[in-house]
Amino acid sequence: MRVPKSLRNLSGLGALALIGFGLFSGDEVSDGRWLAILGTAWILLLTGMHMDMPVNLPTFNRGLIRTSLVIVSVFILISAQLVRIQVVQSDATYNRTSQAPDGEVISNPRASNTNLNVSRGRIFDREGVLIADTVGDDGQFLRTYPDPATAYVAGYFSPLLYGSAGLELSWNDELSGRSRQSSIDGWLNGLLGRAQEGLDLNLTLDAELQKTGTDLLAGRTGSVVIMDAETGAILTLVSAPTYDPNQLFTAQSSDNDNATDYWEQLVANPDSPLLLRSTMGLYTPGSTFKTITAAAALERNIADPDSVYEDNGSIVIDGRELVENNRPDDNKDQWTLEEGVGWSLNVVLAQVGLQIGADGFWESATFFGIGEDVPFDLQVAQGQIAGDRDFLDSQNALADTAFGQGELLVSPIQMVMVAACFNNGGQMMQPYLVETVASKDGEVVETTSPEVWRTPVSESTANDVREMMIFAVEEGSIQRAAGTGYEVGGKTGTAETGDGGVNSWYIGFIGDGTSRYSVAVVLEDDSSGLGTAVDIGTQMLVETIDNSLNN
Amino acid sequence: MIRGYRPTLRATEFGLLLAPSLLAIIGLVMIVLVPRREVNWSWGEIWVSLAFAGLVLGMSISFGIRAFRGDQILLPLTATLSVIGLLMIQRLHPDLVEQGAGYAGLAQRQLLFLGVGAGILWMVVVFAGPLNVMQLLRDYKYTWLLITLALQMATFFIGTEVGGARLWIQVGPVQIQPSEIVKVTLVVFLASYLDEKRDLIGTSWQLGRLSLPPIPYLLPMIAMWGVALLTLVALNDLGSALLMFGIFLTMLYVVSGRLLYVVIGLISFATACYVAWLTLSRIEIRVQNWLNPWSKDPYESGYQQIQSDYALSSGGLFGSGFGQGSPALIPQVHSDFVFSAIGEELGLLGTLAVLALYLLLVMRGFMIAVRARDGFVQLLATGLSATLAIQTIIIIGGVTRLIPLTGITLPFISFGGSSLLSNFAIIGLLLYLSNLPKRV
Repeated sequence: MRVPKSLRNLSGLGALALIGFGLFSGDEVSDGRWLAILGTAWILLLTGMHMDMPVNLPTFNRGLIRTSLVIVSVFILISAQLVRIQVVQSDATYNRTSQAPDGEVISNPRASNTNLNVSRGRIFDREGVLIADTVGDDGQFLRTYPDPATAYVAGYFSPLLYGSAGLELSWNDELSGRSRQSSIDGWLNGLLGRAQEGLDLNLTLDAELQKTGTDLLAGRTGSVVIMDAETGAILTLVSAPTYDPNQLFTAQSSDNDNATDYWEQLVANPDSPLLLRSTMGLYTPGSTFKTITAAAALERNIADPDSVYEDNGSIVIDGRELVENNRPDDNKDQWTLEEGVGWSLNVVLAQVGLQIGADGFWESATFFGIGEDVPFDLQVAQGQIAGDRDFLDSQNALADTAFGQGELLVSPIQMVMVAACFNNGGQMMQPYLVETVASKDGEVVETTSPEVWRTPVSESTANDVREMMIFAVEEGSIQRAAGTGYEVGGKTGTAETGDGGVNSWYIGFIGDGTSRYSVAVVLEDDSSGLGTAVDIGTQMLVETIDNSLNN
Repeated sequence: MIRGYRPTLRATEFGLLLAPSLLAIIGLVMIVLVPRREVNWSWGEIWVSLAFAGLVLGMSISFGIRAFRGDQILLPLTATLSVIGLLMIQRLHPDLVEQGAGYAGLAQRQLLFLGVGAGILWMVVVFAGPLNVMQLLRDYKYTWLLITLALQMATFFIGTEVGGARLWIQVGPVQIQPSEIVKVTLVVFLASYLDEKRDLIGTSWQLGRLSLPPIPYLLPMIAMWGVALLTLVALNDLGSALLMFGIFLTMLYVVSGRLLYVVIGLISFATACYVAWLTLSRIEIRVQNWLNPWSKDPYESGYQQIQSDYALSSGGLFGSGFGQGSPALIPQVHSDFVFSAIGEELGLLGTLAVLALYLLLVMRGFMIAVRARDGFVQLLATGLSATLAIQTIIIIGGVTRLIPLTGITLPFISFGGSSLLSNFAIIGLLLYLSNLPKRV
């Protein structure tokens, strides 16, 4: 049987291409399909290797050559298989876990052993209060979280069972010291199998404020976030209800039972305590979004703060009547934009939204980062302006979205950034939680420098909206936030949840010329409503600025 | 015909043997240092490596003194593979002892087996000529066949069952793995038998319109098929069955040059395996573990394979470093899964290097076969080399989930006396064969 040389070459190349394709496609190729690829490649390889032999070559020599080529081809297949399992799929296999029907978790003991053999870095708040600690010595390290009010911001570390979350996950390379392995020390430790030293994280978080925030929530479900408007530093990240990461850490598999029980409770809890609401909770922003609508109109020169809109108690848009409930004076039917925001008039903002139009509205909201990935030290859920751009093509949908309903979804951290942006000359700072990374002996390895994430509006627009928010506190609907002795601005919002409840929002800022902070409060389905949200937000802001001035 | 003595052969061998000798020393130093976590060791702690280096270098010198003109590459290749195995067992030993006291003395035994294996190799090379072993092997072919069958029978009747497979015979204090002996006696028988019937190649046999292979080929094919199948069903030893049948098909192919025989053989064996898969739950589990060890019962039947996958994946390109991984997490890592331990600690570069060593070894054996003047020697060298190749492919293919896993040792590296001794005997025979008169 002769195989033409061109066909041989083609087969050989085909085999290589097939194997290369299988390897480069990585995880997308299932094991079964990969075996099929190898089988096909093998046939092509054998065809490619089926060379012509001199006619006078003895049968034995001929057979032996063919046999050795078959053996070579099989060794090539084994090599390809090794490349796949040791390199291409290495990470996926290494980290693969599975839970047996009896609840027992199967995971790579190496991943856990490596993690447990590392003297993991500590996590401190801005004043040096311990948030996460590693105790014990070589071979038996234990991870503890001494402060319940901050523990869940660090996340959990459960190498034997559930992996990790929070900063423990996103800063694992630093905490485990992996980021230093390229240093000479790290290399020597690796060579001699010594425990790696992790790096410490110093956060911008304020444990005391965090405690205050937790106390103020007083068992309610919700979130309080405070950000330094100038830098983007996050001072509190309160989320409730929450969990105790101490109970998820186990050093030996014999301790796993309690942790597993606790985990199952957490997962079964309808209030989702594992969810860090401040970053991962998505809510309809309600009237707090009116600040963005107003800013968009100002920025696009469609209106100015004194532009007058008619609001006589209702408006008919495209055949649907929108009723106004927020007018402070039923006899007044001409309102400026500033009053519209300050008294939270839906009819006014609906008209503003229609003026801006769907395209402009979509563009401006995107400038504010709505629907974009927010860069942060923790994962932030991606919000949305609407499920789909076409949604805004309906006049009613556009009007609803303009006063904060429709299909809008935002996370608390995103709204604190919006409030801060108006209080910071239109510059939206990138939020951050990790101030410095340092070695155990205090040598700073990495420092975060404040960065502008985006500039959605000009300074004058920002200042105009800032004035509107101050107006809302001093003369508008949020006067209970006034009287702090500082300059305070804010905006409330309510949003109906799918199951008939109401979420209350408050975003606001405080400033005295040198320091500027902003807050976002969300209370889920709370009967005490908006007033509580405003009070919590105001109290937090005052305490924050008092602290900063005392230092 | 006496040719001039070529001193370069043994000098080359000696030079090449320096590599495994150094590897032995460096490797053991690492094993000593890693748990200690500081750079501090003495020569007394690595006497094992010094003994190993002395053994292989001494053997080369002794060959030189005897003016042995055999192959100069086989011994260094064998030594390198053996040293990887020796180091791996030394390295795994403390971890294994921690798991069960039954593993005590494993490293010492491996060293002893290596020494005895080297002794067998040396004796085969030195005494095969004076004792006229070739004649013995060629003329008593049916005796070798009888030994083969008797050993298989004995395994069936008095064998000890380990994990569902009958692989061992207990002889006094010693456990023997008959399949390791059988693979050699089978090659000897087939080489002699097929060499004798070589001339019948052109003839064929008509059954109606069917043209069948000549009876001398057909008969052993059916017999081999039966023996392999019995090994599979009665002894539950798929690995040995595959090995035996593979050796037979390879030798049949090089003698006859008929691809058809191989295809028929493969199809019939595959059919038998398929039926076994349908009927025997043990084989069904193996197929399951091959395609997806996670799918069913990952904590029981799939556990070993999953641990092996973890080990191989953790190795990556460069490995965790010798002595720094956790290969002992794989059950039975020292025998069936030693290749995964190499993959974890030496990485892809290590596993590919080991593959390359085996390939070189096999190709060197084939070279000896091609150069041989005598038909029996040709077939013997082919069969012995093919044994190493097929065994390597079966176990590495199994460990890496290229094919279903079958319990069989990795030549020269896995722990096990029978395996080491018979493989060293194979290398001894190949070395002896390489010294016989060559074709010009």
